[in-house]
Amino acid sequence: MSEATGSAPPTGAAASPVTSGREADSALLPVDVERPSAATPDTSRGAWTLSLPEDASAHGHRIDTLLAWSHRFELMLVVVALGWMVLAAWRFHQAKRAAPDGGTRRSRAWVLGLALGAFAVVDGTLLLGSEGYLRDVLWNFHVPAADARTVRIEVNAHQWSWEARYAGEDGRFGTPDDVVTWNDLRVPVGAPVWVQLVSTDVVHGFSLPHFRVKLDAIPGRVNQTWFQAAREGTWEVACYQHCGTSHYRMRGVLQAMSPESYASWLREAGRQAEQSFDADDSAAQWGWEWKAP
Amino acid sequence: MSLFSSDHKAVARGYLWGGLGFLLLGGLLALIIRWQWAWPGQPVPGLAWALPESRGALTPPAYTAVFTMHGLIMIFFAVTPLLFGALGHFVLPLAIGARGLAFPRLSVLGFGLYALGGALVLASFVVRLGPASAGWTAYPPLSTPAFTPGLGQTLVTVAVLCAAASAFLYGLNFVVTVVRCRAPGMTWGRLPLTVWGLFFASVLNVLFVPVLAAATSLLLMDRLLGTQFFIAGAAAVGGGGDPVVYQHLFWLFGHPEVYILILPAWGMVGDFVAFFSRKPAHGYRLTAGAMGTVTALSGLVYAHHLFTSGMSPLLGRTFMVLTLLISLPAEVMYLNWLMTLWRGSVRLTAPMLAALGSMGVFGLGGITGLSLGAVATDVPLHGTLWVVGHFHLTMGAASFLAVFAGLYFWFPKMFGRAMHEGLAKAHVVSSAVLFVGVFGGQLAAGYAGQLRRLYDPYQYTYLKHLLPLNQWTSACAFLLGAAQVLFVVNLVWTLRRGRVAGPNPWKVGTLEWTCAPSPPPAGNYDPVPVVLRGPHALSQPEVLEVLGKDWIGQAETLPDAAVDAPALDDTGDGRSLGVGGVATSGGVA
Ligand SMILES: [Cu+2]
Repeated sequence: MSEATGSAPPTGAAASPVTSGREADSALLPVDVERPSAATPDTSRGAWTLSLPEDASAHGHRIDTLLAWSHRFELMLVVVALGWMVLAAWRFHQAKRAAPDGGTRRSRAWVLGLALGAFAVVDGTLLLGSEGYLRDVLWNFHVPAADARTVRIEVNAHQWSWEARYAGEDGRFGTPDDVVTWNDLRVPVGAPVWVQLVSTDVVHGFSLPHFRVKLDAIPGRVNQTWFQAAREGTWEVACYQHCGTSHYRMRGVLQAMSPESYASWLREAGRQAEQSFDADDSAAQWGWEWKAP
Repeated sequence: MSLFSSDHKAVARGYLWGGLGFLLLGGLLALIIRWQWAWPGQPVPGLAWALPESRGALTPPAYTAVFTMHGLIMIFFAVTPLLFGALGHFVLPLAIGARGLAFPRLSVLGFGLYALGGALVLASFVVRLGPASAGWTAYPPLSTPAFTPGLGQTLVTVAVLCAAASAFLYGLNFVVTVVRCRAPGMTWGRLPLTVWGLFFASVLNVLFVPVLAAATSLLLMDRLLGTQFFIAGAAAVGGGGDPVVYQHLFWLFGHPEVYILILPAWGMVGDFVAFFSRKPAHGYRLTAGAMGTVTALSGLVYAHHLFTSGMSPLLGRTFMVLTLLISLPAEVMYLNWLMTLWRGSVRLTAPMLAALGSMGVFGLGGITGLSLGAVATDVPLHGTLWVVGHFHLTMGAASFLAVFAGLYFWFPKMFGRAMHEGLAKAHVVSSAVLFVGVFGGQLAAGYAGQLRRLYDPYQYTYLKHLLPLNQWTSACAFLLGAAQVLFVVNLVWTLRRGRVAGPNPWKVGTLEWTCAPSPPPAGNYDPVPVVLRGPHALSQPEVLEVLGKDWIGQAETLPDAAVDAPALDDTGDGRSLGVGGVATSGGVA
């Protein structure tokens, strides 16, 4: 997203760019202790059924429907292509006579026509469906920008954990009541969640499999995405881009809470943050200007 | 010995042994990965010598090295060298009636660079701080010394540069050879489809391998000279380079590389389907044109690898349209193959079974790529095993089976001995079936959300239930590995005491089978043949009548027709491809 990338000046006078000393800090944090309890397992899904992770988002069904169409097409094309191949090999195996030509004008026209028809239907459906989703959801940042309930989260990816920052009750980043969590995302159900994503060290991949969200976290860039939880529950945050030896343990937990319990959690966490706020700890203060759509 | 000969056939043998060796190594690394996903953290049988501290169990650093080296070795040192280095070097000059490659010494230099690169890859396993571990794509900043300090990563970067230089040299050599060294009468419309595939892929080598060399050289400078082309950011060092530039450069090579690996395979499938259906390739010009269209589009679709990098919506939409567009020529080509089989007289020889297997797995691979071409459906599947299964089917399984189709087909020409048909058939059929098992299992796991490159996927609660599926997939992979013994046994047995192949065991008309002895001498042809018709002149009624066989050589004259034989190619109106003039003039006069 052009509006979401580009240079990233730190917000506020107190905040300064995170220095390389940050890595030493994060190394001190025991990742396992910080790790919240396990997410809900996908018990309903058998290992042998071709099924996506459970959809917990308000918009994911649009992708899922399109993907289901894509699989119908894939199945149809496989049946035609492989069925034709096997049938031809079986029916014409050692046949006495073979056609001596490379096709007639008519048969070649059929090939072109069939290819064009399949292309128009299959690729056309994917293109239009995808375009609709991009226009309405993925690249439409007017939705979170216009909604008063929108929750903004700044996610900073590290080797190997997710650091998240909430503005706190005052709604402004870079103030003492900013709430910082590790591998622990909390969002209210029903409100757009606007994520601003950066990386401190290498390229990471921020992914919420149950919300159909994926976005690279790239050093030097600020990327944005948004999603909306459809119901309460606990799901996982995964890193999908190889980011070093402990890449496989770069796991976080996302809790979708009722708006009331989210508000009370944020109030309490903000109060604690204010108490332990240390104005001299410049490394703990980071943030990037929010780009409007 | 062969290493010092500049004859294209000797260079081809060098690449053949090198490529097969690296295929074995890359395959073993793949089996280690599969072991880890089936039994995470359990000791790998027979690996205790390499990892004594964990008694053979993979550790996370060992695992990252294994999957990095598997990808690098397979792409740069096994499949590409087998397709171009071995089959391309051997077949291309023979198939166009040339005495050799345009620049014989350049092909020796290219092989030398490949061998040097291969030696560096092997050396990287034993150096201090371990082999490369930043993934085969080597995205910075992970691949810079700050995060991957090992000497192995540097050695492998140089090795990739060597392989790139070698690929550029044979690409250039092949392009010039096809343009300049065709035998008299070998018009563009009479080239075997294999030559078309190798030619287009060589064009891609010339165009896009330098982009890889640029990306790799800049990365090497970041590693060795302290430059910061790809080290960036407000967070890390306060400005400077940009890691995303590397991703663009890498995939501007990386996506055409997919076609570099598959175009020669397509060409061989097109030829073998015609040869072993005993009829001319359906829509020869359409097929060659489709391959050319894919070649032309190949560089314009690369950024679908970056759909989730936060690219601008404008770019995302453009690359979505271009990516979907490339499926159209592929469909035309595929339907032509199917039409070639139809109303043929299908002979299920070992090369034909391998070609059909290649066609089948490529079909599956291509179809499963559709959902990756559109942005919305790419998002849930991006970075998962769905992607891994998809590209392993197309550029892994399809290229692999095409390599073996070509090897079984041309082995009698290379070594004068025919491989055992039964063993060869068992090898290719079991491989094709097991490929579908392995990569089908990966597609299923990826669809359920399993991410790539996870040392222990079951750290994630939502992936725990996939363990049985992964164990089943791994079992298929071990069987696939075991099936390769069939090839090794066949190879050793044939080289020692295989039966001497006839001059034209497959009864086809291309120049290498009709104008040169097996194996061909240095210089290939004496005299150089004069080509009269296309490569698929099979089952022509007048040939049957006059010669009593269902094929005729590309340079063979038909006694009665010789009179009016300026031999046109009638691929245009679809009658009597290659025999020219005869059928259109109403049979033998
Ligand atoms: Cu990560």
